Amino acid sequence: MRVLIVEDETRLANNIAEALRERCGFAVDCAENGSDGAAMAEFQHYDLLLLDLMLPGLDGLGIVRQLRHRSDLTPILILTARDERATVVELLNAGADDYLTKPFDLGELLARTKALIRRGKGAPHPVLTVGRISLNTVEQTVRCSGQLIDLSPTEYRLLEYLIFRPRAIVSARELLEHLYDYNWEHHSNVIEAHISNLRKKLRAAGEETSIATIRGRGYRLESPEQQL
Amino acid sequence: MRQSSLSRQLIAGILLAELACAALFAGVAVLHEMHGRRRAFDVMLRGRADSLLGAVQDVEDPDDNVFVDPAELTVPHLDLYEVVNPNGRVIGRSPQASPEQLAALAASVSSPTPEYFNLRIGQEHYRVLRFQGLRIIDRDETPGGLHRPVIVLYAAPTHDLWHEALEAVRFYVLAGILLLAATGIALVWFLRRRLSPLEELARIAGRVSARFWDFVPPAEVLRTTELAPIALSIEKLLSGLHQAFERERQLTGDAAHELKTSIAVLKSSLQLLSMNPRTAEQYQAGLENLLLDTERMEDLAVRMLALARLEEAPVERDASSDLQSALHRVGERLAAIAERRQLALRIDADGPHTVAVPADEAETLCSNLIMNALQHSSPAGHVSASLELQNGAAMMRVSDDGEGIPEAALPHVFERFYRADRSRSRASGGAGLGLSICKAIVERAGGTIRIQSTHGAGTEVIVTLPVVAAN
Repeated sequence: MRVLIVEDETRLANNIAEALRERCGFAVDCAENGSDGAAMAEFQHYDLLLLDLMLPGLDGLGIVRQLRHRSDLTPILILTARDERATVVELLNAGADDYLTKPFDLGELLARTKALIRRGKGAPHPVLTVGRISLNTVEQTVRCSGQLIDLSPTEYRLLEYLIFRPRAIVSARELLEHLYDYNWEHHSNVIEAHISNLRKKLRAAGEETSIATIRGRGYRLESPEQQL
Repeated sequence: MRQSSLSRQLIAGILLAELACAALFAGVAVLHEMHGRRRAFDVMLRGRADSLLGAVQDVEDPDDNVFVDPAELTVPHLDLYEVVNPNGRVIGRSPQASPEQLAALAASVSSPTPEYFNLRIGQEHYRVLRFQGLRIIDRDETPGGLHRPVIVLYAAPTHDLWHEALEAVRFYVLAGILLLAATGIALVWFLRRRLSPLEELARIAGRVSARFWDFVPPAEVLRTTELAPIALSIEKLLSGLHQAFERERQLTGDAAHELKTSIAVLKSSLQLLSMNPRTAEQYQAGLENLLLDTERMEDLAVRMLALARLEEAPVERDASSDLQSALHRVGERLAAIAERRQLALRIDADGPHTVAVPADEAETLCSNLIMNALQHSSPAGHVSASLELQNGAAMMRVSDDGEGIPEAALPHVFERFYRADRSRSRASGGAGLGLSICKAIVERAGGTIRIQSTHGAGTEVIVTLPVVAAN
């Protein structure tokens, strides 16, 4: 998952980014002003936007309106130091999904971030299952018939992204865009290497669900029932 | 405080005036009526006296005396009369008169009073006619007849006169009272009706509160000459108040925003540090960051308090300092920062120029202005501060050839918490209070501060402070 933080207070942005990377294993980008943030959000690489309300350039509300005008469905969580009811109502009506007032609890911010991403992808529960695999987004663990499978952080992120979209073909490019932030080199063979490791680990655990390579198009998480 | 009602006073005033008019009218009417009746009374008196004279008869005695024959005379029984001859002998008097009445009447026979006069006998008022009459008798026996002069005194009581006059005027008095009552009621109704716009105005003005600022005077109020200026002043006052209120609320909101953001940074830093077990080095780095965050918050608090103190506290009358030495001290202190940013800082000040600013505030003023210039300059830029005497005032100019300020932002730079480019200012640690503090310091000392800037070419701040005698 990849999150964009638009916040002019760089110390705060860095703290949130660090927490999201450490605790959720997300890729995070930061923008210091509204115009940069709006430009970055246009790429649609992000699974969630974290917006400060008062921003230089374009303000948070402006970004929300712009995004929703384009029919961009990316979940938006607003950070605001103003908790006047009118502001909050205006924000939510403009298309924001949730808000937190500063100073907030970092744990709560992470929980809301994960909940919004989950809901944005149509999953109501933090534990997702395909075949015998169950992936717990809170603990960041993967089990096969109750047996813990030891995955590297990148492998977990790959599986998490795929499990949110079972049966759909996900391109290597999309995986790159959603799993790595701008600080990483973009090479699709990195994805291929991680996918192959993930396959091996799933097979070793005796799982029949597998990640199929659709030539020229991408990858697909397939459970045995679908293959029949 | 006792409340007084304008409409009640008006009604009372008008009714009183009407009452006075009515009373005056009634009085004049009574007097006029009395005057007419008195004249009629006098004519009547003369008539009765003449008939009395007619009743003077020859006694048919050798002296040819005369006497009043009561059989020939019919006069009202309350009237009094006396007829005497020039020798003072009484030749006739009213038969029913009491001795007291007769004595009083007799006393006025020879008094030098006018023909008609008023007389009081006991409790009764009389109008008296006294005249000398001539009775000619024995016209047949003596050629030309015998002349018998007599003095006639005739008195009639006047108590009925007043009574009749009042009776005649009573109609007017009654009509006046009725009219008074009718006007009173009409007045109350009319005033209530005409004063309703005033009540409406009070109601609309009373609705205004810190949450509800709408004040639209009704058209009827604006059409009323006396009320329109009041309504318009209230409208003007309220709009001014509303603006001031909004400014203060904006300021409180901005201050809260700054503080909450600072706390959010601190809190998230602490929570991040305690989220996972860390190495000693990570804790060390985290603590250093926390210390920096805390210092920034401290700086914000200090600046906010300084501004609040400058804007609230009364001016210390005898505080003064030398602006030149303050400028030099600040220049020396900031030289290191200028060097680190590869900027040329030039201080060019003559003096001393004593201004009505305490030493610490003078340093804050110089330091804020020069720091601003340093922060908004690119490496290899120039920052200069000059001080000179111009028209009896100390004029300090701080200029840079940095990025300048966009024209749209220029009118707002002295507003509290205003930042032309927030991300840039945040990166350099400002909260948008520096120039507000400068403005407060300068204005407290009776000076002026203005800024001119060309976007992309540089900024100049000009401070003018009146020079005072050194103490």
